Amino acid sequence: MDIVPQLIANSLIAGSIYAILTLGFNLTYSTAKFIDIGFGVETAIGGYSVFYLCKTLGLPLYFGIFLGLFCSGLVSFLAYRFIYKPLRARKASGTVLLIASLGVLTALQALVAILFTSQFQTLSGLIQANRVFELLGGTFTAVQLSIFCTVLILSVLLAFLLKGTLFGKAITAISDDEEVAKIVGINTERVMGEVFFISGMIGGLAGILIGFDTGIEPIMGLSWLLAAVVAAIVGGIGNLYGGLVGAYLLAFAENFGIWKISGEWKMAIAFGLLIIFLVWRPRGLFPR
Amino acid sequence: MEYLTHLAVLVGIYSILALSLNLVLGYAGIISVTHAAFFGLGAYTSAILTTVYDLNFFLAALCGVLVAAIISLFVGTVLSKFRGDFVALGSVGFNVIVWSVFLNVQELTRGPLGIPGIGRPNLEFGIWNYEFSSNVSFLVLSVIFVALVYFLCQFIEKSSFGRALKAIREDEEALQVFGYRTLHYKLAVFVIGAGLASIAGALFASYITFIDPSTFTINESIFLLSVVILGGLASNRGALIGALALVLLPEFLRFVGFPSDIAAQMRQVVYGVMLIVLMLYRPQGLVGEYKL
Amino acid sequence: MEPEAQGSGTSLIKTVLWLVVLILIVGGLIIYGKKGGEEKEASKEPIKVGVMLPLTGDGAPYGEPARNVYLLATEEINTAGGVSGQPLELIIEDSKCNGKDATSAAQKLINIDKVQIILGGFCSSESIAATPVAAAAKVALFSPGSSSPDLTGISPYFFRNYPSDASQGKVLAEAAVAKGWKKVAFLQEQTDYALGVFKAFSARFTELGGTIIKEEVPSNTIDFRSVLSKLKTANADAFFLDPQTLPVAERVFKQMQDLKWKPVLMFNDVVGGAPETLATYKDLMEGALTAEFTADPNNPKFTKLLAEYKTKYGVDLLYASSYGPTEYDAVYLIKTGIEAVGNNGEKFAVWSRTVKDWEGASGKTTIGADGDRIGGHTLKIVKDGKAEVMK
Repeated sequence: MDIVPQLIANSLIAGSIYAILTLGFNLTYSTAKFIDIGFGVETAIGGYSVFYLCKTLGLPLYFGIFLGLFCSGLVSFLAYRFIYKPLRARKASGTVLLIASLGVLTALQALVAILFTSQFQTLSGLIQANRVFELLGGTFTAVQLSIFCTVLILSVLLAFLLKGTLFGKAITAISDDEEVAKIVGINTERVMGEVFFISGMIGGLAGILIGFDTGIEPIMGLSWLLAAVVAAIVGGIGNLYGGLVGAYLLAFAENFGIWKISGEWKMAIAFGLLIIFLVWRPRGLFPR
Repeated sequence: MEYLTHLAVLVGIYSILALSLNLVLGYAGIISVTHAAFFGLGAYTSAILTTVYDLNFFLAALCGVLVAAIISLFVGTVLSKFRGDFVALGSVGFNVIVWSVFLNVQELTRGPLGIPGIGRPNLEFGIWNYEFSSNVSFLVLSVIFVALVYFLCQFIEKSSFGRALKAIREDEEALQVFGYRTLHYKLAVFVIGAGLASIAGALFASYITFIDPSTFTINESIFLLSVVILGGLASNRGALIGALALVLLPEFLRFVGFPSDIAAQMRQVVYGVMLIVLMLYRPQGLVGEYKL
Repeated sequence: MEPEAQGSGTSLIKTVLWLVVLILIVGGLIIYGKKGGEEKEASKEPIKVGVMLPLTGDGAPYGEPARNVYLLATEEINTAGGVSGQPLELIIEDSKCNGKDATSAAQKLINIDKVQIILGGFCSSESIAATPVAAAAKVALFSPGSSSPDLTGISPYFFRNYPSDASQGKVLAEAAVAKGWKKVAFLQEQTDYALGVFKAFSARFTELGGTIIKEEVPSNTIDFRSVLSKLKTANADAFFLDPQTLPVAERVFKQMQDLKWKPVLMFNDVVGGAPETLATYKDLMEGALTAEFTADPNNPKFTKLLAEYKTKYGVDLLYASSYGPTEYDAVYLIKTGIEAVGNNGEKFAVWSRTVKDWEGASGKTTIGADGDRIGGHTLKIVKDGKAEVMK
């Protein structure tokens, strides 16, 4: 039996989750210019919101997902409003913001664990039949197919948002030069708050999809975040679409690495890729 | 009392770690999230040499320093090519890779089983043989080590080498214009920091008598980073205060009456909130002079 | 950078203030410690038993249900009149599944709370690191969850009612050979327990002429698809799944279904003793081999534990087949032991070696002279979603 088609399918699935996370991460990085570790916890918040609303309270699924996205967006916005905004107003360095966001991650994931215990949970019970498809010797499920489609839809939506709306132009202006954007009359703080809200929602969306596909636990944030950061750097940090390429490249490297090397070196492979890129192509495949 | 002695030993070991990381982070300005890897290299080298090859603790610790120094020379060379926040990310990568080696090279490290039954240090001169088996004697030993490391760090700070490092941290290009080989300075301090961390690792392994890969993860590196930042960057006193505060904080919280079902997680919440508050109101740490 | 000269005056004051705060903290610890000591003098006080568990970090998923089981058993004992008329009080400390925090927790329990018996550690790393501490203080360490072969005979003060990994690997290897399997694909989670099972299995299986194709995955892995795809292409006679916990096993089974892979299965007791999982993945499981040490699901103490756990916490007991019953038994064994020899670590540890055929939720417990639970695993085969004893 040939393993390659299946590995390609596996890589596409894993890469799609990384891609969603990388989109969210790059959105805040390109505007706020710091590595927001707290972004990782939005996955747990999104996933557990749906878990609580739909599994425990029994609300309809679409309603739960909607509220879950809102919750993760809100948490991200509040973290910006009360922590990152004052820090940025003081011209704090990227490292200070990074450590503050680490505090956000630590505190919030512990809160999630208090509310929902540390047990591993899945959302897959919420949908009845998860059909398995077969294509050219690789198998994938309906959930995995929808994850892949989510990446496409999300990319198109973000492209429209950034290129086609005034709000998007404001974001682009801020990411080019925040001071100038302020001078020409853009309410940078408000835009930034909205960016954090949207990026939180994207993180929550990834968490919900992870919950449907494999499962969620409170301390999942850091490892997913690190994957997103690696993908972002490989693709060219701050470059939304470069990040997509980086995400799939990372997933292919990991999954083919499992085949050619061994499963236990998966994390080392991912970070080896990061170091290789930092050494030979520090601005990524597609520098902005 | 035993419990306080135990905590004092831990504070001592973490003081060495904090002092050494402070050299790298505070004086050279390299945001290294890979310190736990060197801590682990020291611990594993000395644990393997003392248990399998029956080497004396002090010799084994010295070998640990060599191993950490050689590897840190390589890591440092690579990290020196990165800029800003990327240094932090690249160093995370090295930590993960070293941790994977601890976990996967099972012929050497026994992988997830860890290495049990590591002996306490002993000194042998002819017929005279002394083992630091009691916790009090171990405390004395670790205090001696902390003092040595502290004075070394003070010496580095006061020396022309230390002054050059501070200047590099503030304006690397200017120093290059003056003809300083800034890369060599930064590499030297990185290697010294790694070597000192590996001493802490050797002490840790022989004190706890058991090590496994779970102690040397990125989380530990992040913890060490927050120890140094809490205490105060570019301040050796600050590093000691940071180690004292953050080793004792979780122990102190054992006595705060949180309901038992959430106590442990509440400690994590307190730790996270503390980091946020510190960054908001005192980013240079308690006694530090250099702001990140 | 802040100008040094300007800030030095105020920063000195702040340093002094912080030092004062730290001294107060340390002083508080000492005073609290002394108070704890005095409390112990009074005879009407409860009997304190220390507990070490991973409550945060990667080990927390095991620690939480364990804590619930301990509290449940303690509550039962206390409503039934306590231990020799005195109530039992558990002092629970987080040992985070690592050696450092385990020694800190043990030191605290021994020196501040003055306990004679510590229930724990849970992870083998906790037990291995805490044993010297307990032995030095002549305190008994009783683990219901550590299975590392390194703990066998580690100290007269340590014992466990959870069997060592060595037994089930051997049982399964012999069964596989008896089935005529020559090549086994093996997936092992990178934990001490799972590695122990693998070592025992591979030693016996290769000795008998079999070959193993092995993949390892770290504990935090959630995507097994490529590892599974790789093992699938090995075309082995059977697939041995060796996880540390049930959620990992369920993730693997679900992803095996997604990949449409239906090999002949073997698995360790984590999966073997989980009736619900066996039923959920019924079609995958048919004819699977497993080993279990909790032989009897109809044991009244075991069913009572399941029912009461569900009533008290509103969820099913996790690890019901493995750690749950041993944890529950451990609290009752401590009660029995204290009633027999008093709350004394040294005597309790000696007494532990005399435990023979003690009836509990995990079946009959007998502790050997090396502190290990005697009695190995029983081979079982899965038929129609249920594990049956194989003849």
